Amino acid sequence: MKNSLGKLFLILLCTLWLDAEDFKHHFTLSNTSPYVKEAVIMTLDLNQTNRDKVLFFHFTLKKSPDYEFHRLNVKETEEHHTAQVHYEYLIYPLRAGEIQLHFNLIQKATTEENLAYSFSGDRDNVKGLTTVDTQIDLPPLTLKAKALPKGTSLVGDFNLTHSLKTNKAKAYEPLPFQVTITGSGYPPLLKDLLPKNINFTLFKEKPIVNAVNSSQGTSSTVIYPMALSHSKSFDLGSIVLKVFNPKTQKSYKLKVPKQHFDISKVDVKSLVDKIDSPKPLQSDWSWLTTILTSLLSYLVVFAAGYLTAITLKWKKKSTVQTSDPLKEKIEACKDEKALLQLLMATDSKAYASSIEKLEKGLYGNAKINFNNVKQEILEKII
Amino acid sequence: MNQKITQLKQELSKAVIGQETMIEGLLIGLLCDGHILVEGVPGLAKTTTINAFSKALGLDFKRIQFTPDLLPSDIIGAQIYNPQDHSFSIKKGPLFTHLLLADEINRAPAKVQSALLEVMQERQVTIAEETFKLESPFLVMATQNPIEQEGVYALPEAQLDRFMMKIVVEHNSEEEELEIMRKGASKSFAEVQKVLSIEELHTLQKELEKIHIDKELEQYIVHLISATRDPAKFKLSSITESIMFGASPRASIDLYKAAKAKAFLRGNDFVTPADIGYVVHDVLRHRIVLSYEARAKGVSADEIISSIVETLPIP
Repeated sequence: MKNSLGKLFLILLCTLWLDAEDFKHHFTLSNTSPYVKEAVIMTLDLNQTNRDKVLFFHFTLKKSPDYEFHRLNVKETEEHHTAQVHYEYLIYPLRAGEIQLHFNLIQKATTEENLAYSFSGDRDNVKGLTTVDTQIDLPPLTLKAKALPKGTSLVGDFNLTHSLKTNKAKAYEPLPFQVTITGSGYPPLLKDLLPKNINFTLFKEKPIVNAVNSSQGTSSTVIYPMALSHSKSFDLGSIVLKVFNPKTQKSYKLKVPKQHFDISKVDVKSLVDKIDSPKPLQSDWSWLTTILTSLLSYLVVFAAGYLTAITLKWKKKSTVQTSDPLKEKIEACKDEKALLQLLMATDSKAYASSIEKLEKGLYGNAKINFNNVKQEILEKII
Repeated sequence: MNQKITQLKQELSKAVIGQETMIEGLLIGLLCDGHILVEGVPGLAKTTTINAFSKALGLDFKRIQFTPDLLPSDIIGAQIYNPQDHSFSIKKGPLFTHLLLADEINRAPAKVQSALLEVMQERQVTIAEETFKLESPFLVMATQNPIEQEGVYALPEAQLDRFMMKIVVEHNSEEEELEIMRKGASKSFAEVQKVLSIEELHTLQKELEKIHIDKELEQYIVHLISATRDPAKFKLSSITESIMFGASPRASIDLYKAAKAKAFLRGNDFVTPADIGYVVHDVLRHRIVLSYEARAKGVSADEIISSIVETLPIP
């Protein structure tokens, strides 16, 4: 198994050199008479012969229910007039008998100018490469697949392990159980891993596949996670898988021994969920409370603002009506000098005539009626 | 001489309706050789008034619109090179006039304001090492717009002190506005005639010196100014927190001169306390620096001055 399949079975069964107009091609098959599901490596080399053209190739195997294929590698030169392409495929025949491998090859010819034009593009201005495509008809290759021994489940070299955390549980409690198959060969994916007649409930998931294809075949690990459940004790019959190894041409068996599970009984009534979760829907009137609270708050704020404005208005009106500081000060003046001083401080120009009278009384020895002057000023204020 | 003042007022009334406060402020400024700072919204006949003054007195008048890109040489003048005879000649700026309207003085940067205020104080201009004396009278009427404060360079307190008075110009009364409207629409504003010569103005200025002021009133003026600096000393503790800086000694001189001028304009040959009362607000309102507390409370300089006048006993 460790040795390369290619080295062991590298028998050149088919070497075909076909002279095409612009290029030559060369097929190799590692094995032309493999067993069913045995790995076969196929290579194809394309070598440009017409140096006047710029050639590109598109190659693939055609899909078929008779075989399964995976492309392993493509190597190509970067020279435009001497193109050399090497393809490598991993093929698994899926049935016994003669199987034909069909191909799809397209030759894409172009010119230096077209190539330069396509290179002149950029991310924001993509310029396509114009090519003249020619479908090349390649003759199919033939595999003569040999049948597997009867009852074979897997082909390759595999190991089987299983894990079981416990074999004791309460009724209906799941028992995790896992089977892992590791090795190289055709991926060990089985439709039914467990025996068909089971008397317990099986919960299973999609197998977890981790496979890597190479020229040596396919190395894979497949995990089958599952859980078993039952109301009473039960047995899981032994799992037996027959494996055929094409390298040794021998069959062997992978086994999981019979398992017994002890199930303890539980009161079924206690398993019934009597609590509703979430709780049943009830009439919710909180929105009404919210609206009423908001409305009340608004009314309180509005009333407070309105009352404040009214109060200020009345206060202002009553202040204006009842008291004028200047008027009070004028009425409080007891003599001409005090009144003159007050008028000087207030607005001399507005009371110029009264000031003049007061000046005459104070400094000009003229007789004035103090109360009349006062009254005159008060009338001006009103 | 009072007849001349009356004639002058009558002549001014041909072009200016109302605005007695501004006219009287300008008259006081002319008589005392002081400069006037006028604060008021646009359209209150500030230019018209000073223009009418120049015509009525036969004086030169120039107007400078202060803008942020104005340079000192734009107002003072500059030395200009003449390539024809390879010589430099002096081009005098608009400062060389009798009456100067410095419109929106706070729109110009500090260096231009400073150049103007230096000339206001020294009354002489130096251009390229040559000094020129300005002719008398030289009165600057600077204006400030109180409503637009974006992009203005506020005058510093030291420079505001150079102005003898700050006049606050209010809108006209409705009757006055009706008359302005009618005259303005019919273009029937009469031409202002010259009624006073420079010599006569100088005579009036000399007459002013003869106005008597009592020693008690002189003391009263000193007390008013002192009260702005140390209110607590005059039982004015309530305004102590509102004042950051009081008025300068220049305020005492200007209040003294303005009171005399006011008495003169009223036809008296002596000063009464009322004369001081008439001008005290105009002389002091731009010289009192309000504290942050006062500004926050909305207390104005005029309210502080009123408190002082109301508290200090008159002689």
